[in-house]
Amino acid sequence: MLIPFWRSSLLSLALLILFLGAWELALRSSAATGGSVVDAEYAALVGAAAAQGGQTPMPMPSEIAARLWQLLRDPFYVRGTNDQGIGVQIAYSLARVGIGFGLAALVAIPLGFAIGMSPLLGAVLNPFIQVLRPVSPLAWMPLALYTIKDSSISSVFVIFICSIWPMLLNTAFGVGSVRREWLNVARTLEAGSLKTAWRVILPAAAPTILTGMRISIGIAWLVIVAAEMLVGGTGIGYWVWNQWNNLSLADIVIAILMIGLVGLLLDRLLGWVAGAVAWQE
Amino acid sequence: MNHAYVSVEGIARRYPGATIFEDLWFGVNRGEFVCLVGHSGCGKTTVLNILAGLEKPSDGEVIVDGQAIEGPSLDRAVIFQGHALMPWMTAEQNVAFALSCRHKDMPRAQLRDAAREALERVGLTAAADKKPSQLSGGMKQRVGIARAFAIAPKMLLMDEPFSALDALTRGALQDEVARLVSEADQTAFMITHDVDEAILLADRILLMTNGPDARLAEVVVNTLPRPRMRATLHKLPGYHALREHILDFLITRSRLMAQGLPADWNPRHAPEVRPGA
Amino acid sequence: MTRPTPFACGCAMPHQSGFACDAPTDGTGAFGAAADEAVLRAVFPAAPTRRAMLATFGSATLMAAIASVFPLGHAREAFAQTPAAPEKRDLKIGFIAITCATPIIMAKPMGFYERQGLNVDVIRTAGWAVIRDRAIAGEYDAAHMLAPMPLAMSLGVGVANPIPWSVAAIENINGQAITLAMKHRDKRNPRDWRGFRFAVPFDFSMHNYLLRDYLAEAGLDPDRDVQIRSVPPPEMVANLRADNIDGFLGPDPFNQRAVFDGVGFIHVLTKEMWDGHPCCAFAVPRSMVQTQPNTFAALLRAIVEATAHANKPENRREVARVVSAENYLNQPETVVQQVLTGTYADGLGQVQRVPNRVGFDPFPWHSMAIWMLTQMRRWGQLTRDVDYKGVAEQVYLALDAGRAMREAGIEVPASPMRSYVINGRTFDPNDPGPYLAAQPIRRN
Repeated sequence: MLIPFWRSSLLSLALLILFLGAWELALRSSAATGGSVVDAEYAALVGAAAAQGGQTPMPMPSEIAARLWQLLRDPFYVRGTNDQGIGVQIAYSLARVGIGFGLAALVAIPLGFAIGMSPLLGAVLNPFIQVLRPVSPLAWMPLALYTIKDSSISSVFVIFICSIWPMLLNTAFGVGSVRREWLNVARTLEAGSLKTAWRVILPAAAPTILTGMRISIGIAWLVIVAAEMLVGGTGIGYWVWNQWNNLSLADIVIAILMIGLVGLLLDRLLGWVAGAVAWQE
Repeated sequence: MNHAYVSVEGIARRYPGATIFEDLWFGVNRGEFVCLVGHSGCGKTTVLNILAGLEKPSDGEVIVDGQAIEGPSLDRAVIFQGHALMPWMTAEQNVAFALSCRHKDMPRAQLRDAAREALERVGLTAAADKKPSQLSGGMKQRVGIARAFAIAPKMLLMDEPFSALDALTRGALQDEVARLVSEADQTAFMITHDVDEAILLADRILLMTNGPDARLAEVVVNTLPRPRMRATLHKLPGYHALREHILDFLITRSRLMAQGLPADWNPRHAPEVRPGA
Repeated sequence: MTRPTPFACGCAMPHQSGFACDAPTDGTGAFGAAADEAVLRAVFPAAPTRRAMLATFGSATLMAAIASVFPLGHAREAFAQTPAAPEKRDLKIGFIAITCATPIIMAKPMGFYERQGLNVDVIRTAGWAVIRDRAIAGEYDAAHMLAPMPLAMSLGVGVANPIPWSVAAIENINGQAITLAMKHRDKRNPRDWRGFRFAVPFDFSMHNYLLRDYLAEAGLDPDRDVQIRSVPPPEMVANLRADNIDGFLGPDPFNQRAVFDGVGFIHVLTKEMWDGHPCCAFAVPRSMVQTQPNTFAALLRAIVEATAHANKPENRREVARVVSAENYLNQPETVVQQVLTGTYADGLGQVQRVPNRVGFDPFPWHSMAIWMLTQMRRWGQLTRDVDYKGVAEQVYLALDAGRAMREAGIEVPASPMRSYVINGRTFDPNDPGPYLAAQPIRRN
């Protein structure tokens, strides 16, 4: 049975409201319990919760929403090196992911092509790929920092190294499993190797390659946040780290939301491209 | 045989520990339609692939137009068993792709028109913009046929092109191919295990013994007059004798001859028979 | 054994070949020359001149001549040059978002760099290891470091190869504290802390050394009776809250932030352990002194002036407002203000008034460096004996800082050495051996 979209959306919304409502209520009720009373001068020097003998609690959804509104009203300001709007930070992260992922695609797709076409090359490179592939991308960071000596390029490198494997393996697999009969058609038509690669192998392998790219961009987006937290400077990961520095949990919740949404958008974008190159027999 | 367009000279396909076929000699004359009939496992498809240049024989060679073949050529178009259409291209694009290989400098618009024309000849004008997945099996194979004819090859190679189709569709396509071949006076080589198909289309029918170590047992000359139509084929004089002869071969002699060939059998000149003539 | 020749090292640094780039030998002889070198450099700031003088007179003669005009203060003034244009104007300086960095930070918005003709970008950095790595990579022209870091880097401790960096000026004195979780409000005697888990910002930090010394004086072995972890300062409060640690000896504003959030209380200010102890430093690559002397001098003037400005009690509120902004410390202004004014909530319901809770004094005393080196040795970070005084003289640029201070009208101590009382024990920098040997708990 097909569930109507509006129905499932409505239920999702209800679930969200229920969750946020419970969150808000739980915090409001715990905040109400007052503790020791201190003098006014002392109270002025500490946070509201600490003045009552408690600890600053998790922010409530209403506080987070207010902060979100404040951030989104002016997402692209730049007030000095260390204070830039959330939109600017996301743009930095996207740029790093874009460059690292783009370079990885430029390397992985031709190399994957070569491996897919040549079982010998595949066998020669396979041990290296198998050993390097499972390495956590962040493990490359110290090495990158040490050799590249530039933290921004290092984080791009980390993105590059983590996005290359799914694309490489998927391209190799996609190219290697192109139907023999299509290749035979191209051969009997005396299509040159370039024409065969471009008009037959690439479109035939495109859905598999796109699957690899989709996996890669997901990993890249996961990794950039961690990498930026590590090296700092700019980017949404650094922003998270920075708000953590300030112990501003509302900002961290917002960052989680933003990271999730941007990740979803990236996936949808490639999903859309995948749909465009998909074929069915 | 000396004037044959294609001359197959002693080809063999051997794998370590197994010989599929051995010492095949035959020719195909210009404008002639030759069918190769045999049971599965006798290496029919390999023979066709060798003719197409897609595979190399373990021994022997194939001379086309006076030259040993080195590889595939646009002069020998193949209609594959599966339709072998590129599923990401529309019917028209599939044909245009073949045309673009034949005519490297043809402008896009002209390719398009030529492709439409080729599809029109197989009655697929309406399906030109459809992807293979949107077409029925018969329509897909028609596109395959249109693609093969579009490049105006000197020879047409067909590998059981209709075996995956239902009987009705197969009949229609056989008539279609018969018409196209005779219109173009096309030299053709076809693999089949459908006896009626061979009788309908072929001028000569090559019979192979069972594999492994298959041989060319004999050459049956089809003397039935043309034009032949499926509907009336069985009424032609000599049809039954021809059919009996081939069926007899397929049922019994192909197996017996695989065990031992007659003493006077010459691989270079397999006996030619004219049943019912 | 032949005496190593100055200027002979492949790293192009004008240091003894026995120092930093090779594994140091026992040191005494080699570091004597290093001290001479430092003096020579102060007298003849231009390298070619210095080399020419050395070539002409030979090292021994030259040093004797200079010794006759000692103290060097007068010699320096005699050779003082009018400020020349900086070789490099656009500079990047990394900092960690703690109040110790106040002079480095405020010099930017308050125009101290600009006044020296410099265009400086101050870049907030994620942690001490990151600042060190970026400094080594040359991404930063200068950096905010913990005072022991350039010593460790120059000795090749905690890094792959010795990296010659120098402390051009100390940033802050005092201004740290031990903060304990609220549940320990009744355990005010360190003898009761057996089994505690503490956080310090970095292994090579005054925080680590002071905490260890404090615990050891209370009879606790810091390696066996408690746990000490390196935790980035911002995470200290969160760890305290999550009950992952029992307390930390950390930089402000995080002590005050723990109070602000009701997570912990301030047990003791480090001022009570060693009044006037250094904490953070303004560090430069040693090559900068040579290759960009004018930039270095301008930078040092800016830092010294900013430090002096930050030290004045009447400026503290304004400074607190400036540095607490999102671009810098990114903290509630009241938290930073409590740290800088010394009127603060202690987390136990009392308002404390300690105006000198934190101070800013740029002078890099050699004696401070010597104490840090003894602690590195004491706790096994430094596994060989080195010439403490020689290293201190080379890494802590007291002469250069002194010159900048004099130019800014700040009184300069006559000698970069003085003794201290640290956690109740007297430390004589001229004779650190007995001090180290007298420690009941040590690893060397």
